Amino acid sequence: MKRVFTLFAFLMVLTAFAASLTAQSRGEVLIKNATVMTAVRGTLEGTDILIRDGKIVRIGKGLTAAAGAVTFDATGKYVTPGIIDAHSHTMLSAINEGSLAVTSMTDVKEMLDPTDITIYRALAGGVTSALLLHGSANPIGGQSATVKFKWGRPAADYIIPDAPPGIKFALGENVKRSSQTQTQPGQTFRYPRTRMGTMEVIRDAFRRARDYKQAWDDFRAKKTKIPPRVDEELQPLVEVIEGKRLVHCHGYRSDEHLNILKIAEEFGFRIGTLQHALEAYKIAPEVAKHGAGASIFADSWSYKLEAYDNTPYNAYMLWKAGVVVSINSDSDERMRRLNLDAAKTMKYGGVPEEEALKMITLNPAKQLGIDKRTGSIEQGKDGDIVIWNMHPFSPYSHPEVTMIEGEVFFDIGRDKLNRQVLAKEREELEKLEVNRAPGSGGTPPARPAERRVAERDEADRGEIGGNNQ
Amino acid sequence: MKSKLVLYAFAAIGMLSGGSVCGQSYAVTNAKIVTVSGATIEKGTVVVRDGLIQAVGANAAVPADAQVFDGNGLTVYPGFIDSLSNLGLAPRAVQAAGPVGGGGGGQAAAAAAAAAAATPSNSNYPAGLRPEYATLEDIRAGDAQFESARNAGFTTALSTGRTGIFTGQSVLINLAGDNVSVMTVKSPVAMNVAFVTIPGQYPGSLLGTFSALRQMFNDAKRHDQLLKMYAQDPRGMRRPADDKSLEALIPVVNGQMPVILVANRENEIERALNLAKEYNLKAIIAGGQDAGKFIGRLKSQNVPVLLSMNFPKRTAAASPDADPESLDLLRFRAEVPKVAGKLAAAGVKFAFQNGGAADVNDFVAAAVKSTENGLSKDAAIKAMTLAPAEIFGVSDRMGSIETGKIANLTVVRGDLFSAQKTVTHVFVDGKPFEIKAPEVPAGRGPGGRGQGAGAGTGGGANPSALPSVGGTYSINIAAPGQALTGTLTLTQQSGQLTGSMTTDLGSGPIRDGKVTQNGFSFAGSVNFGGQSIDFTVQATVTGNTFSGTVDSPQGAIPISGTKNP
Repeated sequence: MKRVFTLFAFLMVLTAFAASLTAQSRGEVLIKNATVMTAVRGTLEGTDILIRDGKIVRIGKGLTAAAGAVTFDATGKYVTPGIIDAHSHTMLSAINEGSLAVTSMTDVKEMLDPTDITIYRALAGGVTSALLLHGSANPIGGQSATVKFKWGRPAADYIIPDAPPGIKFALGENVKRSSQTQTQPGQTFRYPRTRMGTMEVIRDAFRRARDYKQAWDDFRAKKTKIPPRVDEELQPLVEVIEGKRLVHCHGYRSDEHLNILKIAEEFGFRIGTLQHALEAYKIAPEVAKHGAGASIFADSWSYKLEAYDNTPYNAYMLWKAGVVVSINSDSDERMRRLNLDAAKTMKYGGVPEEEALKMITLNPAKQLGIDKRTGSIEQGKDGDIVIWNMHPFSPYSHPEVTMIEGEVFFDIGRDKLNRQVLAKEREELEKLEVNRAPGSGGTPPARPAERRVAERDEADRGEIGGNNQ
Repeated sequence: MKSKLVLYAFAAIGMLSGGSVCGQSYAVTNAKIVTVSGATIEKGTVVVRDGLIQAVGANAAVPADAQVFDGNGLTVYPGFIDSLSNLGLAPRAVQAAGPVGGGGGGQAAAAAAAAAAATPSNSNYPAGLRPEYATLEDIRAGDAQFESARNAGFTTALSTGRTGIFTGQSVLINLAGDNVSVMTVKSPVAMNVAFVTIPGQYPGSLLGTFSALRQMFNDAKRHDQLLKMYAQDPRGMRRPADDKSLEALIPVVNGQMPVILVANRENEIERALNLAKEYNLKAIIAGGQDAGKFIGRLKSQNVPVLLSMNFPKRTAAASPDADPESLDLLRFRAEVPKVAGKLAAAGVKFAFQNGGAADVNDFVAAAVKSTENGLSKDAAIKAMTLAPAEIFGVSDRMGSIETGKIANLTVVRGDLFSAQKTVTHVFVDGKPFEIKAPEVPAGRGPGGRGQGAGAGTGGGANPSALPSVGGTYSINIAAPGQALTGTLTLTQQSGQLTGSMTTDLGSGPIRDGKVTQNGFSFAGSVNFGGQSIDFTVQATVTGNTFSGTVDSPQGAIPISGTKNP
């Protein structure tokens, strides 16, 4: 009886929190007396931030909020923009359509799994937005999703409505390796099996897209009578040619980076980001001239042959050359520590602090085309904000509160309370007949789960329909 | 003279078994009659003649020629409808004409090739993406295969194929009859879609499944447009390519033909509803065990649910080493029995289906459990009778006990919702079947899993003719992307098999093991990704090797094995 009462009390508390959450998103949020790292106008001591209806409306000292506003006393704490991960495969029910060399008809937006616990863990690491990419099994992969981690909401709420659409390309070993995987005995190997074949596939796809666009242009101009088909594969590539869709191109070797920049220039578009780009430092001026961004690891290399010729000074050299650089995770686990990866760019080469912070906030926002609404702490931008216990570049730092558009999605204090509530709930649920293990026999017990799923650059691995395989 | 008599006798039997009952009349008297469409009659009579309900009422007259069943203590319901099943389809055929000898891998490939060759087609689309496939073509006639379903009170089922993205245009059949024409109530009822992949080719992932469907819907719309243009004026226009696959989709994209979309969990339902909305499909969700989370959308998009009565329960053995099950899964199992009640309260149309359960009796048990979790008994009965009839557009001819409707009746002794109940009779198309009390488990599960062309008498008939299949086998399962190896141990006792199967996914006992004419079959479960997945295996034995198919909701994959000396 007592237990039931305790559970009830916990639930009441939880309900009260939930109620305050909804109220808060519509009203005002005031963060008081913080050290604010704006990622655009330096670091401001003893500063308040006022958020109204999800947008930052004022930044200054001695701000006041309307009655009923949610207030955070951030004395002694640091505040940064929400972290943005420009390369992730988290919360996807399927990552790779590896059967064909060109799978631009697929769209990971349809594969969002808003129940994936890695979302909440990312929030606990201060990540508020991410670019969710198709895997790297094919030269032209699927369409991407640019999301905010609105944990607890339906999948549709995650998608940032005004983010430009994107698409994944991939070059090099993963594509070659995927072409040599037989999923069925006796199956013929997929084309392409070489780096030059990969370039041919991409060029061919854009030629087809150009013809397709011409066919529609002719039809719309009434030059032809028969309507062309609505082609799910070529339509996204037409959008690339028209500059409406960003290309995020996975690759390692500098010769391949140059090749893909050349193909883009040939068809009159700009590559959005070179992803991984471990050898981009060798061609930094060319990358800067083309206008592509580079989304890289801070210090991870040598995990395969084409990933050997890297240096942790990559970020510094690219930044020096004027390239927009972001540090990404490509990992559900590393995603929670991007603040430390950004700090490494200060150690290797001496990237200034604010530039280092930009590499996980404003720069990825620019690469994803969402810098008008997020990526820095500025008046008029979304209230995507992290409150840290100390300087976020300290290895001892951790987020205390992570909010998106002024709404709290992670709160370390509430998390502690939640654990008890959930443990109670689990205890009650496990008592139910349906959740009890059979007395004897039964299927084998669940194997311990893989702790490190979707680890770096493994996104070309086989897809059996599981999560993050 | 004597021979003439025998001839007459044969003729009479032929007429009876021909399905048309030739004016034979039956009456169930003094029974409680749950009409579903109207008020329940506490004590009344149902008269059946010529396959139809001739009269129903408290004082309905019993015809002089009627065979009378005393219904004292009995309740008559409309025949139960299983709103999604594989009933009437053969257990997955494994082509016996496989090569003799050869390694396990070769046999697996041969089995896969045989499966592909089994459906010759000049469609432009691979097997699995052929919406023109009508399940009706593969329905088998005969009463015996439906015995276990009838014993549980079912008289009618919607049936569709087991494999592919387009599993088939479904057919509504009555569960008795000596030819398919007589059994068929309606065909096609709907286009059935499962969001699965085609191993080894596009679409090889869930991502591709959606884009492949989308492209076919686009192309079907265009095909329709071109056909109309051509019909209007063929001159100066290349004739549209004859494409039976796209043609079959035209009524789907035009919103005329319902589409049954298999979707159980939250993400699956969300995706299915999005697709339905995008293409304005006349959608029906099948499975729907998380449908309680989509009440608003189901109502606004006017989507009925064929709710799975295969309620999830933990099957994994306890182990101190295993991870605890996810809270999400624990909650899911607790919530599933409440879903029907929620749908009913919100006014979402729904019907019950077996959901691939191994034992058809679990269906009624789950329906009963729903009534203990917020669903009214009336609504539960409706979900097995009139509701599916309405969803499938046949409520003018079945689903309730009304004069002139098809005489499908289920007669139960005791309360249907109590443990002490016995189905005593069912009438299928006016033909009575008496249910013999304790049933030998001859053909458990959907489809009866009967013995093919045999009389469905199970394995006991002639044990000496059965092959000897006991022993320990090294096995190979050609799962897409990841071949599994392991051991299968079978112990044979006349026609029955017991034993266990161990693979990379763990080990477990086999169930329902049977020796067949040329091999064996059994069922089992594996734990994959935290969920228990039931599968069945059908295998053909050649010497010391076997080859066959593992059939699960995820699709069919080849299995082969070699007996260890």
